[in-house]
Amino acid sequence: MRTGVLGTIAGKEFRDHVRSRRFRTLTAILAIIAVTALIDGAFAYQQNLDQYNEAQAVASSEDGGGMGGYSSFKPSVLMAFERMGYLLSTIGAVLGIAMGFDLITAEKESKSLKILLSHPVYRDEVITSKAMGGVAAIALAMGVVFLLSLAVLLISGVVPDVEEMVRIIIFGLISFLFVFSFFAIALFMSTVAKNSGNALIGSLAILIIVGVFFPSFFGNAAMTHAIFGAPPESPQMGGVISFNDAECEQMWNEYREKSVRYQMALHGYYDLTALLSPTKNYMQMAMAVADPRDTAAIVSGAMFQDWDETQEFYADLPDSGLAILAGMLGSLVKNIVALLVFPAAFFGLAWVRFVREDIR
Amino acid sequence: MIRCEHLTKVYNGVPAVDDLCLDIPEGEIFGLLGPNGAGKSTTILMVIGLIEPTSGACYIDGTEVATNPIEVKRKIGYMPEDVGFYATLTAEENLEYSAKLYGMDGATRRKRIPDLLSLVGLEGVTKVVGGYSKGMRQRLGIAKALINEPKAVILDEPTANLDPQGVADYRRIIRETAENGTTVLVSSHILSEVSKVCTSAGILSHGKLVASGRWEDLARAGGSGHVIIRVETKAPMPEFSHPSLISAEYADGHRAARLVAETDICDAVAEAAGPAGIRRLERDEPDLEDVFLSYYHEEATS
Repeated sequence: MRTGVLGTIAGKEFRDHVRSRRFRTLTAILAIIAVTALIDGAFAYQQNLDQYNEAQAVASSEDGGGMGGYSSFKPSVLMAFERMGYLLSTIGAVLGIAMGFDLITAEKESKSLKILLSHPVYRDEVITSKAMGGVAAIALAMGVVFLLSLAVLLISGVVPDVEEMVRIIIFGLISFLFVFSFFAIALFMSTVAKNSGNALIGSLAILIIVGVFFPSFFGNAAMTHAIFGAPPESPQMGGVISFNDAECEQMWNEYREKSVRYQMALHGYYDLTALLSPTKNYMQMAMAVADPRDTAAIVSGAMFQDWDETQEFYADLPDSGLAILAGMLGSLVKNIVALLVFPAAFFGLAWVRFVREDIR
Repeated sequence: MIRCEHLTKVYNGVPAVDDLCLDIPEGEIFGLLGPNGAGKSTTILMVIGLIEPTSGACYIDGTEVATNPIEVKRKIGYMPEDVGFYATLTAEENLEYSAKLYGMDGATRRKRIPDLLSLVGLEGVTKVVGGYSKGMRQRLGIAKALINEPKAVILDEPTANLDPQGVADYRRIIRETAENGTTVLVSSHILSEVSKVCTSAGILSHGKLVASGRWEDLARAGGSGHVIIRVETKAPMPEFSHPSLISAEYADGHRAARLVAETDICDAVAEAAGPAGIRRLERDEPDLEDVFLSYYHEEATS
């Protein structure tokens, strides 16, 4: 591919996006939602910080020496971004679709595609540069929103440290990949649909399937019951209370082991099926970045143990969220790969379809 | 300059273009004629490399289109039938974008674009193309087709939306372009328009090239054997019947008729129409339209 051609087409696409009312409206909506979520998150963060400071004060006094575990960890600014991630999982998908659904169909509708392809350009250069222009516009929109978010945090008196800044950047990159997934879906629909209306409907249908249907289908109780059976019953539920202490303890230990195994299997299943849904996958990734402690507890299974063991697990975790995240990298690789594979697959399909199409 | 060798395109088992062989020399203005659905646009789309032939090949200036699409596109200028531009850009911006895609440098663009806008009568128009009439878009389409100073210009139904002044300008531009050695291929179903600007033509019917050559040759070959008789009477005339009669069109309550026959049947017509009082009876030379219709009919009947 030739950089001159790519630059010319991508530059025009980018300018078209940025000048369009659609782009400005969506960016404004995204910014308003992000800022609102962040103000809410910043408020919750301040509350948690106050609680933490109180807990620290009690812990340093003679009476509170026993306080420890989870409550003794300083809350992170990233918890504000966790709320933002939840909102981005819907509006971000809409932004991606809005930027891509008519990239090719609009050219067909305005009859400019034949003119464009009569120039000395390869079709792969056309679709790649159109995608580049769209991606650059998405990056601009998200960059503006993240800078605005950062400004809101600073105005709220919340100053992220370097480690938190790195995690905020990672959060931004993951969010960008998520939006890009739906942009690629919309671009593909734009190459197969006859007009922009059909491309939009097709893209929204895929959004509903992968964003709503898959999670509810794979996650519903009937499905998990069919695959994993009923959760183990606790010993009390059988109504037997005549065991001596040793028997009782053994039964409880067995129940606990079964229960942890069951929860771990269930979590593994949810984790795996989430890969089919960019929305679910993004939310898991966003949670891992924003709240690595809880994510690590879930991934390791410590969350399903009893209170003391869970608290012990929390106490053993490093102070740095980034270090916890790095420790989880092995189990997050599949999520990262899925987040990359999904847009790549749809972009590949769009590419093949457009390159092979007869333009009549 | 433009050569097609056994060019065939089949859609769902139906040939849109069927074994088309064509050779258009340099500097020629060639008209590709045919009714709607004859395969003109499909032929053009194969010539410019937008659709792939099922079999056969096209060559522009000796370069095969399918295997060297970029090289070929550098040599041609194309205006589609339903010409479309970017509605949010001005004519100048649209041409600027086009010129950049041809890799033209800034200095050349700055000189070439105003010249072309002036040539097609769009100089000083500052509104965006979204506000253009169809005719203005077609004028811009001609400018776009010429921006890269092509060796061959391919125009699909170029006068479909032009007003009389636009048509006159178009003819002037095309003639000047051909005088400079550029080959022009014009596809149209409007015979009169093609006959006024083209030096030679090919006639497509059902995807097949049924005739091609210079105008005089086509007229001679297509017109031979057909006689047109016009007759007007004072009272309604009876319907004619003659073994040589090909077609008969009646008007004015059967007081006027236009007859096409294989031989001169004027005497038989005079005899049959005599009782109705003949006001006029004359033999016409077939016009171009009759000649070309005869080609279509020949192909259809064969």
